[in-house]
Amino acid sequence: MRRTIRSVAAAATLLALAACGSTPAPGYQPSIANLQALRVGMTPMGVDDFSAAAGVNDTRLGVRADSMTGAGGDGAFSTYLQQALETELRNAGRFDADAGLRLSGVLIENRLDASGFSIGRASVGARFVLTRDGVVIYDKAHNVEHEWESSFMGALAIPAAMQGYAGAMQKLTGQLFADPTFVEATR
Amino acid sequence: MKSNNIFRHAVRGLAVLSCAVVLTGCLSMNSYVDPALPLVTKADIAAPATTRPVQIALEFRTKGNANAAGTAELQPRVIAVAAESGLFSSVTRESAGADAGLLTVVIDNVAVEGENAAAEGFGTGLTFGAVGNMVTDAYVSTITYTRGGETVSVDVRHAIHTTIGNHSGPSGLTAVTPQEAVHQAIDQIIWNGLDKLADRRAFD
Repeated sequence: MRRTIRSVAAAATLLALAACGSTPAPGYQPSIANLQALRVGMTPMGVDDFSAAAGVNDTRLGVRADSMTGAGGDGAFSTYLQQALETELRNAGRFDADAGLRLSGVLIENRLDASGFSIGRASVGARFVLTRDGVVIYDKAHNVEHEWESSFMGALAIPAAMQGYAGAMQKLTGQLFADPTFVEATR
Repeated sequence: MKSNNIFRHAVRGLAVLSCAVVLTGCLSMNSYVDPALPLVTKADIAAPATTRPVQIALEFRTKGNANAAGTAELQPRVIAVAAESGLFSSVTRESAGADAGLLTVVIDNVAVEGENAAAEGFGTGLTFGAVGNMVTDAYVSTITYTRGGETVSVDVRHAIHTTIGNHSGPSGLTAVTPQEAVHQAIDQIIWNGLDKLADRRAFD
């Protein structure tokens, strides 16, 4: 009997602790605002590699007892941003892998704070570079702050933080696509 | 010897706590789709003489913030309802060409005034269902159709009531799982939105 109780307790402990590990960031979803911005006269473009600036956390963000990785084979957040931009452009019919217009960039800020009991925060930023046939026509840094409702309970705070991070990335791509200088450069 | 006892107590404490955490998941949850929104089917919607392709864009939000997981789960349902409606010649998530319309759907899951699902659910969990609570999730949606420079927009509101633990549901409503309730509610939001847009001749 005691052995059975111990087995049940051990199994329950493992189940409860199983949540502690590393989870990929939620699959990026294009926003309606970005779709509408991209549909208005923006020329199709390709997306090249993104990297992270020195000192920027590009591989793993702590989310309470859990942690989150980025996307792609390298699990990097710079790759997550690259794929987010490609997803937005494809969704709006503005992606052309062979275009002379090329977008690349460097992740310059990548922070996630899920420690708050009522508010979670993310700060992300990137320097975006647009080239046409090898000539730089746009080079600008964008940063965004994003907040969401968090909780004392990790079971609620952790998924909320992961969704919040995806929301922050959506804000960052939105800021780029809404920048009149960027829009003008693509034409 | 003393430190060994402390370790054994700590292990037992962790095991008891883990059991409690795991067992709280055994509480029963029943959901009920609010009956206020009319049940709309394909037969209720007047199709335009000429149907055109449409691109669908869904954005599911939780209290105003984009919810990527919710969007990914519900997008296929929105596309399926739009395809079943017969209002469009083709339905796609990607860009559908110059002649295509754009149907955008924003659904925001908002808290109902005076209620907090997470807090009440947690309170019920601590008492293993002896108290019981009913919480309500409201869904505020805006559905917009744009084509050829013309834009028509309609609003649809819906709600799901969920009982947690020992609590009876609203009378006259059928209990379903929370996931099934969300699927039913989203389908009804889209059907009603398309019906309202068709009434305003958005697809003509």
